[in-house]
Amino acid sequence: MATSTIAQSGKAATIKTTFHRQTSVSINIQADASIVWALLTKASDYPRWNSTITSIEGSIALGQKIKLKSTLDAKRTFKLKIKEFEPEKRLVWGDGQGKRVYTITDNGNGSITFSMTEKIGGLMFPMYAKMIPSFDKSFEQFASDLKKEAETIKNSK
Amino acid sequence: MTVDFFNQEFQGTISQLKSYILRITASMTDAEDIVQDTYIKALEKLNTFRGESSLKTWLFTIASNLAKDNLRAQTRWPENVTDITKAAALSNKHFFQEAMNIRTTSPNGQFEAKEHIAFCFTCISKSLPLEQQLCIFLKEVYEFKISEISLILDCTEAMVKYYLHTGRSKMINIFEGKCALINKAGVCHQCSELNGIFNPKQNTQEELMKLDLVKEAETGDKEHLFDLRMQILREIDPLNSKASELQLHHLEHNKQVMEKYLEKKTD
Repeated sequence: MATSTIAQSGKAATIKTTFHRQTSVSINIQADASIVWALLTKASDYPRWNSTITSIEGSIALGQKIKLKSTLDAKRTFKLKIKEFEPEKRLVWGDGQGKRVYTITDNGNGSITFSMTEKIGGLMFPMYAKMIPSFDKSFEQFASDLKKEAETIKNSK
Repeated sequence: MTVDFFNQEFQGTISQLKSYILRITASMTDAEDIVQDTYIKALEKLNTFRGESSLKTWLFTIASNLAKDNLRAQTRWPENVTDITKAAALSNKHFFQEAMNIRTTSPNGQFEAKEHIAFCFTCISKSLPLEQQLCIFLKEVYEFKISEISLILDCTEAMVKYYLHTGRSKMINIFEGKCALINKAGVCHQCSELNGIFNPKQNTQEELMKLDLVKEAETGDKEHLFDLRMQILREIDPLNSKASELQLHHLEHNKQVMEKYLEKKTD
């Protein structure tokens, strides 16, 4: 029920526990899974359509490592590994502190549901939890940018 | 379909096929070879052609498949190809001697800015991923529909749209940052510089203002300016225009410079 509400709204939700924090967003996109997948997996193209990502170096392919810079923390470069890569369905990248999961669900009516979840944490999490900014706005912007770009492509002549 | 009818139809498509492959490979030799192989393959498979697409679409499908296997088509050039090749041309005294010789002796050796704009697009388009480059030429220059490109490249219409959109966006971005014809802060003035060299008696600015692309530059409508650039390409047959011999000479030069440049990079 909660997931469905999030899917319609494109609003992010965060669940906090002592040792973890998990942020999720879902959004309905009127476009083919192949378009969304192509946008999610072409590293060098991200800054063109995604206002939350400054750059991604490397190749988004199973087992590969990428260097990601985001607007959340402009000074930091995140070194991430592609952990799962299931075309047009699921993409997972992460490091020792957390992982981000992207899923694409085909709704069978010409639209897909895109979901993105990031879980960070571990035994040391309480020590630095307050230093990590909220992901909510950034997640909402990511989902909104993806929807806009994918639907623009879908509707192009 | 009879062989005679096929031959007649093929002759009607050959110049488009050849210019398409030339723009993808940047090699006249490869364009000739691939078009020849396209003819042979099409003739061999003529009895399998059911007319489910037009003959032109079918021929472009065969030619595109052959091009995708061609090493020069696969090779990607850097975005700053025209800077690298300009530096090489300036340090090669034979280049301008040969070019000037073509300019003064060949009926196809005129210099026209619009021909150079088309040539420049061909070179820079080789910095796009191959699928994006193929889609842009097929749609914007050879005017195939998205459904036809989907058949030619054997991919979904959704992916054709993706390749077109991303390819266009990248090319718009490159020209916006580079081309002084559409952006006063652009760093590349090669059209004007070469016009000054090859047509010293012309007022270069006046000549450039004859082009809609330049006239309408101040509108700042990037998508529209890209469409005007594509209109220039559509109107030019790079193998049979007033400037074809001169531009083919430039293209051969750029191809050789890029091959050496990329070879050095992999060493």
